[in-house]
Amino acid sequence: MTPRILVVDDDPALAEMIGIVLRAADFEPHFCSDGSAAVDAFRNSAPDLVLLDLMLPGMDGLAVCAAIRAESGVPVIMLTAKGDTVDVVAGLEAGADDYVVKPFDPKELVARVRTRLRPSSEPTTDVLTVGDLRLDVAAHEVRRGDTVIALTPLEFELLLALASKPQQVFTREMLLEQVWGYHYKADTRLVNVHVQRLRAKVEHDPDAPRIVTTVRGVGYRAGSSA
Amino acid sequence: MTVESVADALRRAWLGRRGWPSRVAGFWRSSLEFRTVATTVVMAGLGATIIGTTISVSIGANLYDQRRDQVQSESLRATLLAQSIFDSATATEDADQVELDSLQNEAQSAILASTSSPGGTSIAILRTPGQTTAQTIQAIASPDFPADQITPELRDQVAADTGALALQPVSLRGPGGDAPGLAVGSTLQVPTAGQYELYLVYDLSDAQTTLSLMQRTLALGSLALVVLIGVVTYVVVRLVVGPVRVAAETSQKIAAGQLDQRIPEKGQDVVATLGRSFNGMADAMQKQISQLAELSRVQQRFVSDVSHELRTPLTTIRLAGDVLYDQRASFTPTAARTTELLHTQVDRFEVLLADLLEISRFDAGAVELDLESTRVVGLVDDVVAEFEPLAAEVGSTVAIDARGGYLEAEVDPRRLRRIVRNLLGNAIEHGEGRPVEVEVDSDEEAVAVAVRDHGVGMTPAEAERVFDRFWRADPSRRRTIGGTGLGLAISLEDATLHGGRIDLWSRPGEGSRFVVTLPRAAGTTATTRPLRAEPDDAATPQATAPGTPEPTSGEPWIGTTEVRGG
Repeated sequence: MTPRILVVDDDPALAEMIGIVLRAADFEPHFCSDGSAAVDAFRNSAPDLVLLDLMLPGMDGLAVCAAIRAESGVPVIMLTAKGDTVDVVAGLEAGADDYVVKPFDPKELVARVRTRLRPSSEPTTDVLTVGDLRLDVAAHEVRRGDTVIALTPLEFELLLALASKPQQVFTREMLLEQVWGYHYKADTRLVNVHVQRLRAKVEHDPDAPRIVTTVRGVGYRAGSSA
Repeated sequence: MTVESVADALRRAWLGRRGWPSRVAGFWRSSLEFRTVATTVVMAGLGATIIGTTISVSIGANLYDQRRDQVQSESLRATLLAQSIFDSATATEDADQVELDSLQNEAQSAILASTSSPGGTSIAILRTPGQTTAQTIQAIASPDFPADQITPELRDQVAADTGALALQPVSLRGPGGDAPGLAVGSTLQVPTAGQYELYLVYDLSDAQTTLSLMQRTLALGSLALVVLIGVVTYVVVRLVVGPVRVAAETSQKIAAGQLDQRIPEKGQDVVATLGRSFNGMADAMQKQISQLAELSRVQQRFVSDVSHELRTPLTTIRLAGDVLYDQRASFTPTAARTTELLHTQVDRFEVLLADLLEISRFDAGAVELDLESTRVVGLVDDVVAEFEPLAAEVGSTVAIDARGGYLEAEVDPRRLRRIVRNLLGNAIEHGEGRPVEVEVDSDEEAVAVAVRDHGVGMTPAEAERVFDRFWRADPSRRRTIGGTGLGLAISLEDATLHGGRIDLWSRPGEGSRFVVTLPRAAGTTATTRPLRAEPDDAATPQATAPGTPEPTSGEPWIGTTEVRGG
């Protein structure tokens, strides 16, 4: 079954071109050119991944992202002309998993799409603990006590990677490779923002993290089981 | 108040006492009012003192002279009167003792009646010694006559000079202390009794009192005048300094950013003119600053809008070019070649656009530093790894020499990566296939990355221009990595943004060495040099010191470049 990709972009030429590229890579593109119609299109087409332009008429791209994220953990990749940190962080914090700056290499786009669609880690029956959280790997669930904490697949992968080797320090580059699947130099801001998002969801106090701790100058590490 | 606090206060007061001269000096330096008032008061005081003393001395002398003249004429009159009384007795031939005595009494009362000195006169009639006469009269003296004040010299003078008066100042002892007096001596010829000396001692304490009173009044008056002058000066200075102080404070507020502060304009005088001019200047400045700020905002918005507008169609072109490029095997040779050209030029256009927008951001001031604690060696390792394929293509090897030291620095990794990419790319491109050496070193304050190539090198003229925008050393040189001519300009801006710099050493035929130095701590400037620009293996020791860009031909160019222009 070919993966379905929803392309939300208001420039018809670009949307068509992306469609051509995706088809050539054996994906099935669906299109939407208006922000306010995007959420409906999402519901209707039930894609496996969303390519979302940020500058949209109708509803702003960030709002669309947040709306989709509220409903589903489907991977969302931002397409943006603005590569400034402020804009990238805003997009990532709204729920996107990755971003691609225009103009981009079509091969890079396809590679990122493929990576996001790749099935995540091998299912095991492991249950990991980190801090006061229990990670049920098979079910992709994180619990604190009895409450389930809702994480996107990417956030879960991030936490899992750290928790699998509790005392190992992961550099940002290592995390990019392991969690995002990028084997070349990608932007480490991805990691920064996602760690922040993760902390906001799982930490008791995001400003004094105990579960996902920072090792200055190196990277991150899962804290010890308290 | 505890004992400790009292002791403490006393100790502080004692210490403060030693420090008060310097405090006064400081006050002097800082307060125009204090200086002016103090100077005026001191000078006025000096003037008043001089004038007062002069007046006092002059009047005192005058008073004395007046009194002395009066005393003199009185004494003369008295002497003549007494003499005439004695002379009237010579009418009878036998002047006996009783008659003489009664004459003496008559003379004494006549003298006393004729002298009218306030404060009293004392009188004495003394016999001139060394005479032998038929009869004598008793020497008399009034009760309070200061006999000890009559010096022998005076007596001699009086006896010798019988026709004139002799004066001598004396000091009269009285209940209130010593008072000044004047003794006048003259001779009397007493018939049959010989020559007698008449001494009149006048009390001058009234003159003294007058003089003292005048002096006191003068002193008080001067003091009051000086104080008044001081007060008036202070008021005047305040009147003048006040507006100046207001102007100074308003300037400070404007400089601090409150551009709408103004000086109140009242009246038509010079101060009001100052106020109006100042306000006019502030208005012009505020308008200019607002205009510039608005211009900067407009430019930033432009950059942002252009960024989006250009990039979307460019993405479409890029995607289309890439799709065609992938299928070029199935085109005709001409079409295939066309596709290749399209592909490479679209790449080039993309890079150029990105660089242009970056430079534009620097110019508009719309740049932010995303500082992160970074392991610089790791970052350099990554960039070198990126360039390995390209280096292999031209046959260069890239060696990294990472010295120990301070591993981490607070830098913007994206920008540092861009700088190192640029320097390494240039080194490989201009390295003529020879090895490229990268060094990383640090000290407590700064971290430095040096990229050395052994290629073409640059003449001093070229080296000075190499950081200019769009300037390329050899325009005909084949561009293997598609440089835009903006790489070094952007690198320099990136380095300067951190508070760092880029140093350059270059010699034609020997290659070049670029050293980027960044401060390790955020917000500081890199002042130290963990790595010098000149490489250790430079052929001959250079004659010029680092930082002086005036070498003769054949000598290497060494310099530090700063961002020029806006």
